[in-house]
Amino acid sequence: MISCSNISVKIGDKTLIEDINCDIARGDYLCIVGPNGSGKSTFLKTLLALLPASGGKISVDGETLSHYSHKKLAQLISYVPQTGGSHLSFNVEEFVRMARYSYHHVFSEWQSQDQDAIENALTITDSHPFRLRKMSTLSGGECQRVMIAAALAQDTPVLMLDEPTAFLDPHHQVAVHQLIRKLNQQLQKTIIEVTHDINHAAQHSKHVLALLEGKCLWHGPAEQFLDAERLHLLYQQAFVFAKHPHQERLIAVADES
Amino acid sequence: MSIKLKLIALSLFTVLVVIISPWVDFAAAGSTEIQQMIIHELRIPRVLFAFTAGCGLALCGMVFQAMFRNPLATPFTLGVASGASLGAAISVYAGISFTIFGLSATSLSAFAGALIAISFVYSISRFRFGFSGETLLLTGVAISFFFSSLILFIQYLSNVADSFQIIRWLMGSLTVVGYQELKQLLPFVTLTAVVIIYLSRELNLLMAGDEIATSRGVSVKYVRYALFFVTSLCVGAIVALCGPIGFVGMMVPHICRLIIGEDHRYLIPATMLFGGSFLVICDTLARLVIAPAELPVGVITTLLGGPFFLWLLMRYKSQH
Repeated sequence: MISCSNISVKIGDKTLIEDINCDIARGDYLCIVGPNGSGKSTFLKTLLALLPASGGKISVDGETLSHYSHKKLAQLISYVPQTGGSHLSFNVEEFVRMARYSYHHVFSEWQSQDQDAIENALTITDSHPFRLRKMSTLSGGECQRVMIAAALAQDTPVLMLDEPTAFLDPHHQVAVHQLIRKLNQQLQKTIIEVTHDINHAAQHSKHVLALLEGKCLWHGPAEQFLDAERLHLLYQQAFVFAKHPHQERLIAVADES
Repeated sequence: MSIKLKLIALSLFTVLVVIISPWVDFAAAGSTEIQQMIIHELRIPRVLFAFTAGCGLALCGMVFQAMFRNPLATPFTLGVASGASLGAAISVYAGISFTIFGLSATSLSAFAGALIAISFVYSISRFRFGFSGETLLLTGVAISFFFSSLILFIQYLSNVADSFQIIRWLMGSLTVVGYQELKQLLPFVTLTAVVIIYLSRELNLLMAGDEIATSRGVSVKYVRYALFFVTSLCVGAIVALCGPIGFVGMMVPHICRLIIGEDHRYLIPATMLFGGSFLVICDTLARLVIAPAELPVGVITTLLGGPFFLWLLMRYKSQH
């Protein structure tokens, strides 16, 4: 589906990303992890064509990324940014509606499939209760759900999320994680998610890409990701492991001693 | 009240303003022919011109506020009007006069000045420091100062009569407009309005930020270029014909946002209607305040706009 070979991104003479190779299959769930400033968001934005790659090749469905028009790409990949939307005075429904932009031109009429797309998006993210409220009055969790709803209304096979749970309380973190998993498992959406939550990455995703200083440190199946040596190398921090009391999996905890 | 009802109310208000204002302060003296002439040859074209210019200024202000996501960003505060003024002043001082496709040399050089100023603001704010509100406005202020001092320089070189003309014109005045000026302005404002209406969905998405807009499928770069181009054209034409009338582009769209909301499909018509009638009202006031003499309308709009700017600044500060 998406294939990157030798991707580099430079801004000025500063190299943000160097030689990343990564193939993402249809229906995959890839988590991108790494310390602050390791180039996770930069890599995501490069895949979205928000930043130009200065070297290497990205192809989506066999076609070079830069050959896509913005509208065409918007029908393939949708994006949930880290922040944004909370300053807007549009109401929730209007904002979600605007995500249908790429399917319309100036004179085209609102179709029933457009309405279905936004209704489904509002339902699946549980955003119906506040659909008429202004974006600026929403709480962090509600705003995050609306951002995901808007991306879903875009009706794309690929969904990219940049730290979707960063500002949420544990309850809403779990809710968003479950929602993303549902999108991946039930709707077969390809998910690419930047996260700092290594246990979530190991438990829910299918593959993990670990970035360190703009380079790929490790790329492999999620169940093999939690490794003491690898985590230490990645975060410069010792981790200890414990078995989950109810499940057959390990939990990594940063060792403060 | 629903948005559509508000728009209808605003339309009625506009029609009322435009119909009544030519008759305000109309001296009954003189023969009917003279009265007829004053109404037909002076008052009506002046009101129509004020309406068109107000439309254009308010629309350009609305576009700037949306593109820079800052209620204080308008062609006037970002130095674009000063750039246009400088262009026009240079062409007047140098005595260049020609017309291409009905465009006067003054209009063309005002347009060039506006375009230079806008590219300046845009590239400085974009490539050096990013889009933070303070930097953007400070860049605008710096550019305004720079262009203003160049205008002063030109004024200093001119003779007394020209110099007085330049001062009078810099205040923004509608005293001398007639059907000829209206005919010159109308195509620009129409073109600007058509392009802005065509891009209303893009403007909505730009409010959410460049990254979100791009990921939804908007070609942000081309939309920006198109909008910069038409707003420069519009501001250039208005400044060349009646001087930089300040703050209309800040007050009108902001008040409309508060009443109508953020959705540009409704905000655009509201801004056009209110912008037009607002400038007509200000111009009528300018005729009345020290009657039988007249104030330049720019004095009125700036007197209203200064406090409004401060109020917006406080609000903006407390929100961010």
